[in-house]
Amino acid sequence: MIIDMYAAGIAAVFGLLGIGLYGLMTLRNLIKVILSLQIIGKAAVLAVVVAGSISGEIAIAQSMAASVIVADTLVAVIGLALAVQMQRCHGSLDLRTLSMKFHTPPEAENGG
Amino acid sequence: MNPVAWLIALPLASSPLIYLAGRLPLEPRRAARWQISWALSLAVLAGMWAVFAAAARDLAALSAAPVPALTVEVGALNLRIDGLSLFTAALVLGVSTLTLIFSGVGVSGRAGAEKYFAMILATGGAMIGMACAADLFNLWLWFEAMMIASLMLVAFAYDRPAALDAAIKYLVQNVVGSLLALMGIALVLGSAGSLRLDAVLNEAGSPALLTAGALFILGFGVKCALVPLHTWLPDVYTHAPIGTAALFSGAITVSGLIAMLRALAPLGGAAEVWGSLLLGFGALNIVAGNLLALRQKELRRLLAYSSISHIGFMLLALGVALYTREPAAAQAGLFHLLNHSVMKALAFLTIGGGLYSLGMDADRPMPFRQLRGLGRSSPLAALALTLAILSLAGLPPLAGFISKWQVFQAGMASGSPAAGALTLFAALNTLLSLAYYLPVVMLLFADAPAEAGAPRRPLPWRMQIPLILLLGFVLLFGILPDLARLLTDPASAALQGGFGGLDRLISLNGDSLWRLFF
Repeated sequence: MIIDMYAAGIAAVFGLLGIGLYGLMTLRNLIKVILSLQIIGKAAVLAVVVAGSISGEIAIAQSMAASVIVADTLVAVIGLALAVQMQRCHGSLDLRTLSMKFHTPPEAENGG
Repeated sequence: MNPVAWLIALPLASSPLIYLAGRLPLEPRRAARWQISWALSLAVLAGMWAVFAAAARDLAALSAAPVPALTVEVGALNLRIDGLSLFTAALVLGVSTLTLIFSGVGVSGRAGAEKYFAMILATGGAMIGMACAADLFNLWLWFEAMMIASLMLVAFAYDRPAALDAAIKYLVQNVVGSLLALMGIALVLGSAGSLRLDAVLNEAGSPALLTAGALFILGFGVKCALVPLHTWLPDVYTHAPIGTAALFSGAITVSGLIAMLRALAPLGGAAEVWGSLLLGFGALNIVAGNLLALRQKELRRLLAYSSISHIGFMLLALGVALYTREPAAAQAGLFHLLNHSVMKALAFLTIGGGLYSLGMDADRPMPFRQLRGLGRSSPLAALALTLAILSLAGLPPLAGFISKWQVFQAGMASGSPAAGALTLFAALNTLLSLAYYLPVVMLLFADAPAEAGAPRRPLPWRMQIPLILLLGFVLLFGILPDLARLLTDPASAALQGGFGGLDRLISLNGDSLWRLFF
């Protein structure tokens, strides 16, 4: 029975990781991309918790999980702040509007 | 609390204070406010240098141990300071100090300069903490903290679309990388039950731990720009403020490499696997960086791609070190890392200085045609840029030549045909790199364009001091390469020792680190 619990946990880790990576590859809206990052982050937290319960290091795993949640939240906050700024700068949240290379005319960049 | 812990506590604790000091409503003029933060940040860095000297002395006193390391406990936090930690600390402190002096001119005119200074310290503190972490999870936490703090340095000019785009790319790619590394840590925890970095895991060849190591290479590889994962790097180097570019090329990017080596150390039983992976990625980085650099029309982006190829050299050398346990290779790789930091910091700061002297914003990209006639308008900037680029190309007697030569020698001496062949391939790629380095130098001394009526500014002393110091190091390490061994010998000993290569440790020279200061 306990083995089944581990298997379910590991399956959930892979499921969340798959959803997150799929979203990261297919979505083009910055907020949705940040959501995908959060889902991958949750997969990592779950992986830590499952690993801790498999190896019996539950205390370490719990403190790790709490720290990862804090770090993940920081990333989300900063990512959403960048999204606000992106909406202001580009008028859109579409990642395809990101400049892919050095295309801005140097004259405009350096003010003449 | 052991005084050595101040090396990390001092920058992290003072960073918010420096931000607040810059916002004190004492003085109505903004110019005076950023000067307060700037001076305070320099004072903090001076204090960190003093702690660094003390740590080096304490570590030298332990030189009888096979792998000397200071263990410091701060509450629940365990720190382990060895040669590689001090190497990283020296790198961070050196690049941060010079960039901060330089940035006193670069970002001073802009609102929020105090944020920039505070974040330089926070990034440096987190990076030193990362190099001193005693277990895998602490390593990850410091790494993540450093990523968030360095993101602020990239996004500092968030009102410019190109810089904002660079910050978004940096955030998304690096977060995925660090989460993959965290999955690897979970695998180690689940299958070994121990996260200590000085542990030697017996079942290092098991599928779970092999997967964990591969995740470490991928995850931390995003930060040090392994080739398929490098796409954030050129944008950050091109559009971030010039001081950020210098910090990234000098310290932050290679921190991924240091984190990767640290995380792989407990899995040292499979060192040959990691070594062969690093060798492969190294060769890929060298050739891809060189080929992509050939097409560039803008200097900062060219230097970004050249960074990718130089990181390939470091990966190659460290791969040889892990694959064949050749002690000279680790030393050569770390020496090249050190030299690359000095050369790239010099190159980027000189670009800032050159643009400033041409009367432009120092934080903008530098298209090639603005290089024309820099030799006439600012001889110091032109000389510094020339020597930095010739050194990057690997021409004697400059620093870049010596370390590339040492990497080559170590690869050839390793006795492994695969490592030897890849080293030869890397050496031939150096010739390819001349094709993009030399035109830049020629442009520098070309005739100035006819319409050169732009106002020319002399470089202020705050810009000259870092340039002259870095220029001195490029020449010094080229002429007296053994001087760098004071730092690289203990670091490579710690590295080899971490991977269980104690039997082939190079002999440590007594109080070598201590002599660096006295």
